[in-house]
Amino acid sequence: MSSGSLGGYIVRRLTQTLPVILGVVIVNFLLLQLAPGDLATVLAGEAGGAPKEYIDELRARFGQDQPVYIQLFYYMRNLLVLDLGFSFRLGAPVLDLLLDRLWPTLLLMVATLIVSLGLGIVMGLLAALWVRTWKDTVISVAAIIVYATPLFWVGLMLILVFSIRLNWFPTSGMEDVVAFHEGWDRVVDIAHHLVLPTVTLSLFYLALYARLMRASMLEQRGLDYVVTARAKGQSERKITTRHVFRNALLPVVTMAGVQTGGLLGGSVVLEAIFAWPGLGQLAFQSLFARDYNLLLGIFFLSAVLVVIVNLIVDVIYVFLDPRIRIG
Amino acid sequence: MRLFGGFATAVIAIGVGIVGVSLTSAPAAAQKRGGTLVQITQPEPPTLGSYISTANPVGQVAAKIYDGLLEYDFDLKPLPSLAESWVISDEGKTVTFRLRAGVKFHDGRPFTSADVQFSVMEVLKRVHPRGINTFSEVTAVETPDAQTAVFRLNRPAPYMMAALSGYESPMLPKHVFSQGDIRTHQNANNPIGTGPFKFGEWRRGEFVRLDRNADYWKPGLPYLDRIVVRFIGDTGTRAAALERGEAHVAGFGAVPYNDLRTLERLPNIRIETKGYEMLSPVVELMFNTRKAPFDNVKVRQAISFAIDRKFVIDNIWFGFGKPTNGPISSNFAASGLYTAEVMNYTVADGVERANRLLDEAGFPRRADGTRFDIVHDITPYGEEWRRFGEYTQQALARIGIRSTLRYEDVATWLKRIYTDYDFDVSSNHLFNLADPVLGVHRAFHSRFIRPGTVFVNGVRWSTPQTDDLMDRATIEPDAAKRAALYAEVQKIVVEAAPLAWTHEISFATVLDRRFRDVIVSPLGLFSNFDRAWRE
Repeated sequence: MSSGSLGGYIVRRLTQTLPVILGVVIVNFLLLQLAPGDLATVLAGEAGGAPKEYIDELRARFGQDQPVYIQLFYYMRNLLVLDLGFSFRLGAPVLDLLLDRLWPTLLLMVATLIVSLGLGIVMGLLAALWVRTWKDTVISVAAIIVYATPLFWVGLMLILVFSIRLNWFPTSGMEDVVAFHEGWDRVVDIAHHLVLPTVTLSLFYLALYARLMRASMLEQRGLDYVVTARAKGQSERKITTRHVFRNALLPVVTMAGVQTGGLLGGSVVLEAIFAWPGLGQLAFQSLFARDYNLLLGIFFLSAVLVVIVNLIVDVIYVFLDPRIRIG
Repeated sequence: MRLFGGFATAVIAIGVGIVGVSLTSAPAAAQKRGGTLVQITQPEPPTLGSYISTANPVGQVAAKIYDGLLEYDFDLKPLPSLAESWVISDEGKTVTFRLRAGVKFHDGRPFTSADVQFSVMEVLKRVHPRGINTFSEVTAVETPDAQTAVFRLNRPAPYMMAALSGYESPMLPKHVFSQGDIRTHQNANNPIGTGPFKFGEWRRGEFVRLDRNADYWKPGLPYLDRIVVRFIGDTGTRAAALERGEAHVAGFGAVPYNDLRTLERLPNIRIETKGYEMLSPVVELMFNTRKAPFDNVKVRQAISFAIDRKFVIDNIWFGFGKPTNGPISSNFAASGLYTAEVMNYTVADGVERANRLLDEAGFPRRADGTRFDIVHDITPYGEEWRRFGEYTQQALARIGIRSTLRYEDVATWLKRIYTDYDFDVSSNHLFNLADPVLGVHRAFHSRFIRPGTVFVNGVRWSTPQTDDLMDRATIEPDAAKRAALYAEVQKIVVEAAPLAWTHEISFATVLDRRFRDVIVSPLGLFSNFDRAWRE
């Protein structure tokens, strides 16, 4: 497989996803029209009341006095040049708002992916190796309990124990707003704030990956190629690490790719609990404020991210399993 | 010159002298410079342009940056701020403000009468949601010299003098905000005022940082180096951050009532209920008075009788409230505008009376014991409203009214109540604000039956008589006569019960004990914290 064909593949995949993203935008745009109430009413409501002239004026400013198809047309036209519009509620361009919130989201996402995938795979692997022993039972039961526990409860309990009782970690936020550290201290400070949210979010996914990895390992171990390898006289250790492990990873990686989309939007609760300044909270607030420009921008960004992550997953397949060819 | 009757003269007399008092009256021994105060504000403000949005969180931040012409004491009497003194003349139709000299905006440019003229005439009167009403009588602001601003009024507007705080009517720099469209001005979120704190940084979703204004016009103030306003979405985490001392002040229900009692027991926390006197929220049940059966006054009175106000306050608001029957808050007792001499719904035999009224109204109990069915739309503002809805459901069941609860999000609820009028009963709370003209008239004056305008007369009830009384009270310069007019208004509306007023809410502010003199004004978190200091 030459790098040229990989590049070509990526370009081809990206072109194929354009209509998908376009569809996502149009469907979302139309769906949002169905929600009752609008931004002007919400703004007036937040203000504790406002004269009708004021509300009408707001509507005209937002372009909401135009028919829906014209609004859609303008939106699509602006999207072509990556102009995601203006959030009238927050008084800032949507793109700026998204980019500000993107990096805390990515930070949390990547940290969670590393921790949950890493630990989940190791736990699943160990459980599979110790299958039907008490150690396997402990791991499996722990995974089920963690998986079944609501995220917000875990988050609050961790705050209660590790920040209020033990005083090890801050309750919330991304950095210390009294000290305002700079340089290297700031990195350490942010990492310190990152621990509890990452652990909370990871626990959930970790359980999922551990169970998946265990099942996948057990399934692979019974397949013909393992018998063949064993017949060749390869050591069990080598069979596990070189063959079974790599093949067992495939479903886990697939699942991780699918979950990334959820990780992006599904951390709304987590962001609220830990006051983490990510995209989830922004989406949540903009929905309730009927700030559609902003919401559509978030949907657009999420769609793009999901497409990219899935592309990366497909590329990883090739390295994990040489039988899979792209093209 | 008799705008406020007796006390206006007094106010003007003390006007000049009071700054000295307010600055030095507190013991000077203990205050220390320095420290960062972390305030929790929920939710995150949509903008910092307090001249265009009166959303609660906006005021909590912007009031530290912008000064107003006046400040107020706990009796809601005006004190000097940017205006050193003022004279009301021409039967209340001219108000002359003498402005403080040497006041500078955060960008170093001087504050002058031109800024007052611009702020009132070009901004507040045009785009401020409440300013449109507050300054409706102001025809011009004249600027004979840099230190004098003369307000010319069409008719007297006594309520205007109560609405000149930095929260309600911020004074903006003309040289900044006159450039470009005020509605989308780039400095909305990069505010420049004359207040004790300068805007530092706003990291969306995280915090706003305000830094000490070293050139503040009150010498030696503010004490704090910095205020950081944090946004934490989860109620449990907010309480945890306060408990751990990561955050130091939070009010307006940012911490739910059930957590307040827990926090109160901690050694590092204090609960303060002062600081909401200029807001005075009153809880009400709204009736759709143009729809059967609520077009019948007996039905409305029956429901009001059925609510056990003490039970509601003790069990749903955890004691943070005060029973009431009428629309005007008892915080206006000092100015005489409040009266307790109205029909009393807080009686021991409320349920019996309610049943009797419903029988008389022609709604006998049916075979299953109920009289009729209604839908109750709960205010979508949090847990206590849900519980209030559940309580009301049970209270109404006792008098044979079967209610279904409906809980929608804010935008949907607003549209249902104030645009479509598609409701039977809803619960709500309106702020009285600084004067009944600003906060009370809107609930039942015919002028405020305006589809699409929120938090106004959604019950669509009015009478020519009450309209007339309120119109006269609006421009009545004599305090005693004004009080008499409002007494009559309260008597009539409480008996007609277009809304059932149940209780005044006492909001509570959670304070870290290390911080002192934080709540020193009836505007509480909407004031500028210039005297707050850390031990």
